[in-house]
Amino acid sequence: MEPAVDITELYAAHWLSLVRMAVLLVDDMASAEDVVQDAFAALARRPEAVRDPSRALAYLRVSVVNTARSALRRRRTARAYSPPHDLSPPSPEDSAVLAEEHRAVIAALHTLAPRQREVLVLRYWSHLSESEIARTLEISQGTVKSTASRALVALEKALQPTSVKEER
Amino acid sequence: MSTTRGTGPDMASDIEERLRAALMARAELVRPEDLSPLAPVDDVRRRSRSPWVLLVAAAAVLLVLGVVRLVGDGAPRERLAPDPKDPQIVLPDDVGRDWKVADLSTPAELDLDGDGRREKVEFLAEPTKQLDGRIRLQTTLSSTGAETHGIAELGSTIGTTALEPVDADDDGDQELVLWYDDVSAVGGGGHPLVFDLRDGLLVQAVAEEPDLLVRGNVPVPGSSTEHYEMVRIHDYWVEDGQLFSSRSARAFPAGNMTLMRPETIVMDRWRWTLGEDGVLRASDPECVRSGLESLVPCGAQELDEVPYVTSVADTIGTGEAAEFTEGYRFTAGIEAIADPRVVVQVSDSLTITHGLEVADPRISTVQPMSIFSDGASLLVTSASDPTWLQVLVQDGDRLRALEPAGEIELENRGDVRTWLTQEGALVTVVAAEDDTWHAWQWMLVSRTEMAALPTGPVCFDDVDDPSTARSC
Repeated sequence: MEPAVDITELYAAHWLSLVRMAVLLVDDMASAEDVVQDAFAALARRPEAVRDPSRALAYLRVSVVNTARSALRRRRTARAYSPPHDLSPPSPEDSAVLAEEHRAVIAALHTLAPRQREVLVLRYWSHLSESEIARTLEISQGTVKSTASRALVALEKALQPTSVKEER
Repeated sequence: MSTTRGTGPDMASDIEERLRAALMARAELVRPEDLSPLAPVDDVRRRSRSPWVLLVAAAAVLLVLGVVRLVGDGAPRERLAPDPKDPQIVLPDDVGRDWKVADLSTPAELDLDGDGRREKVEFLAEPTKQLDGRIRLQTTLSSTGAETHGIAELGSTIGTTALEPVDADDDGDQELVLWYDDVSAVGGGGHPLVFDLRDGLLVQAVAEEPDLLVRGNVPVPGSSTEHYEMVRIHDYWVEDGQLFSSRSARAFPAGNMTLMRPETIVMDRWRWTLGEDGVLRASDPECVRSGLESLVPCGAQELDEVPYVTSVADTIGTGEAAEFTEGYRFTAGIEAIADPRVVVQVSDSLTITHGLEVADPRISTVQPMSIFSDGASLLVTSASDPTWLQVLVQDGDRLRALEPAGEIELENRGDVRTWLTQEGALVTVVAAEDDTWHAWQWMLVSRTEMAALPTGPVCFDDVDDPSTARSC
């Protein structure tokens, strides 16, 4: 049976943006590419899962978020229960070109719980609506809202010590 | 009048602006020229057959034949676990010495032989067109200098990496943990594979109850309805060198790509230990409460979180208007020049008018976003007839009333109460026995229909005041 979606076309259209989204979730390029490759592999394996081409990007997005979460889960024991300052910093090449202000925000973002980070990335970078985020993360819209709200508070808190340190 | 509390993306605060700018800057560091060459589409197609099926099938064949398994060098090896009542382990074939290191793989480093020094385990990929071949795990033991190997089927040969190692048999050495990740499963899925050094080989352990050692949303048999099925949430993880898994005590409805679960849920947790016979066995279950960021032991009488049923959204009546700024933005009001009608202004160029065939109409000042948020949507009620309810959703340049479908009616009378929460969830509670109510939440199930999914039991001190909701 011919696939309902043209995966080659999807590659061309969305590979870069999905890798960018993944890098915001997992914070390293190799894992991000891996995550997106897996998402496309899943779609290639089950093209019938998406009969409507207009839903292919949403399907890939769900796959990327799930796979990114799996990738982070591998580091769970090291990451989930460690204090923020133990988290891996951005790679040296990233640090060289990312402005100090942005670097602090990204570092703080990666101290958040995975779902909080996912909600913020989908909302403020992917510009998804609450219903789209809810569908992507398979949570209710109420949870999207409360998670976003708590995540922003947590992000602000995580940034405060850094700012104080910088002022000194 | 604003109906929101200012958390929308357009009500930019300083932190939101900083976040947006940082995300954009970080994402733009990834340039097209940084990307690895793409794999041909055909090369990412993978076989979907589970390695468990293969192993169980292989074990079953061997069991029936009662034979010993031959390894690649031709020397016969006896099965390590002879009891036919137990799950059977299978010794790995000595194949793949000439396979290449798997793409994007990271060697695992762990102390397989317990001498205090870590071995570096490489992952070699069986070359197949669809990148779905086996993985040869191989290393040289630091204690003896002997080579050892194992064979894994992970569904893909791309990006093989290991979880943190475990010592599931408490013998002082470590076991290698890989995982089969079913990324096509809604909500994620898969299971871990544990490899133990036995008889000089890396032998895959088998789980006595494999259904308890999985990840993802697992349907409850017989629970499927037209609009949803009940699922239990499973997970597994490595913590402090031990392998754990969990399963939600309750099942939750999943449908239409939505899983309705509270933020914290009560789970059964098992620790997995590896026996002499190579079989992973689950401990007695321990009750834990799982939150977004925490996993803590249950209290004395642990209860699931109360379903989201509070608090009740405000309404406006004839002559009033409300501005909807959460999600899709529009204004709406009720006019009654002759017959009452709702007037929705979506933009300067689009105003929608819809006649209301009910006396004393009211509209809630929150959108029923649990149902529809990709356009204007309204819950319409009546001050003179509390039993009357209607959900209107935008369909192009008009409003359409959604038809209720599924197991319960959209009602508000006696033993069935319906209201819209301030979070935009349209909920119905249905009276059951012992002062317990069963909560449901409505969602869109087709272009013209909505149905309610069960979200669990809830009790009220006073059902006329939903804010008195509590666990039962």
